[in-house]
Amino acid sequence: MLYYFVPDTRIFGGIKVGYQFVDALNALGVPAVIASPGGLAASWFRSSAAVVDAETARRSFRPEDVAIFSLPHDYPSLRQLPGQLIFHCQGTDPLIDPILADPEVGVLTCWRQATEYALAHGVREPINVGISIPSCFAYTGEPKIERAVAYMPRRGAELCAEAMRRCDRMRYIAIDGMREAEVARIMKSCSIFLATSEHEWFGLPALEAMAAGCLVVSVPVLGGMEYLDDGVNCRVARPQDFPPALDELVHERSTGLRFRMRQAAIATAHRYTTERMRHHLSELLDGPLSSWRRA
Amino acid sequence: MSHRLCAVIVSRGLDELLRFCLKNFFESASGLSDQVQVIVADNASARPYTASSFPDSRVRLLRFDTQTGFAAACNRAVQECDAEQLLFLNNDVLLDRSTLVRMMEHCDAPGIGVIGSWLYFPDGRVQHRGVVFGSDDIGPYHLDRGGYLEPRCAFQEFQAVTGACLMVERELFSRIGGFDESYSFGLEDIDFCLRVRQSGRRVICVNAGRPLHFESLTPGRVELDVSSRQLFLQRWRGKYSIDG
Repeated sequence: MLYYFVPDTRIFGGIKVGYQFVDALNALGVPAVIASPGGLAASWFRSSAAVVDAETARRSFRPEDVAIFSLPHDYPSLRQLPGQLIFHCQGTDPLIDPILADPEVGVLTCWRQATEYALAHGVREPINVGISIPSCFAYTGEPKIERAVAYMPRRGAELCAEAMRRCDRMRYIAIDGMREAEVARIMKSCSIFLATSEHEWFGLPALEAMAAGCLVVSVPVLGGMEYLDDGVNCRVARPQDFPPALDELVHERSTGLRFRMRQAAIATAHRYTTERMRHHLSELLDGPLSSWRRA
Repeated sequence: MSHRLCAVIVSRGLDELLRFCLKNFFESASGLSDQVQVIVADNASARPYTASSFPDSRVRLLRFDTQTGFAAACNRAVQECDAEQLLFLNNDVLLDRSTLVRMMEHCDAPGIGVIGSWLYFPDGRVQHRGVVFGSDDIGPYHLDRGGYLEPRCAFQEFQAVTGACLMVERELFSRIGGFDESYSFGLEDIDFCLRVRQSGRRVICVNAGRPLHFESLTPGRVELDVSSRQLFLQRWRGKYSIDG
């Protein structure tokens, strides 16, 4: 059995990625469940993963079981379990360095930059299992409000406020504390998404916005540069250049550019469909992760 | 003799319906190469079933003199059979000729724990094709119930399927602890499926011909559902993923 340990059920991308991974494993026939405090399940996104109490899972853990985790603070306690320990690397914070230095811990990564980080820190064979965008974000021609701009105020609120002041002819819609389906609905109705979270590792919301047909204006991020191609499928601007970049983009003369970049964004997001991720994972289960089929 | 499949049918009254249910079951079982048996749990029928009512030698009667919960009756009936696979079947489900063969095809697939089946109302609408879970107070519900729909694939994975037609390996059923007898009537099947999935086994619903389900014909059934639902939400609220 494979247990994916999560710390809670909060609205935090890392939690969703964990459930997504368990869903993918289940779909490919690998027995896997989420292990969560109190057996509580996250309810803000779609999943069909089974959830068990983390404490019970720890107590009943057998040497043939697999424990997966993605947050560094789970490492010391899970290190004591008798089975295989896997770190699902979703971020490249120095806090993870001791984990990467542990030869007993297998490392999975979600994107290229994380793989490079793991390699640079001595991990011999990190396995990139990928990441995917839920199908509810896939843009299927829903009507868009050309002047609507979506943003997430949780990170980079000041930058958002500055952009709003500079470009006050647009209508801004905050996305915060909402269920995934509602987020997808808003993104599909907006024409632009502001990704203002500096020091973001990957930026799943920006990729979801691209899938939803938004033109993303983003600050530079770490892992997200794998899908952000400035001037082709989005605009990437440093914080000080961010408000003028938005202002220029929403101008009448940029209509054609916005359309082209949106089309390119949808095409880019297509590389991250659930089907593609599962196909890739299926190949890994026939190769380096084949022992999981028998877990 | 050891049997490959045993059907457990908990039934109260409705003799004629039960006869049709058995007839269809055996017709469907004729497509199997293995021996089958049926345990009919007579759940305090006012006029007890008799062996002469069901002359087929593969049918065994188990009588409850007082009305017993569905879960308890099923658990008790399972103790009476020796088959590898169990099929819990409602007396108002009429299987299609191909149903059992198609369900049994998945029995030995790795990781499969519970197999359910598409079921239809007599007018052709979908009665069951898998159970999904809504957020907040919505809880579990039958996906696409009442719609006119055709299956697009041989099977699909769900968090739960209905116990009206539910196949499970006997060993797994015992290991999981059978149905939870705290439920009066209803939702013990969903509770069971969630526990099966917690153990790492999969729950699937197969396209198995066009079996009919008349649904809730037994008198007094609906009232019992209410307390079962309360118990279910008390126990599981916040502990299942949302896929509906």
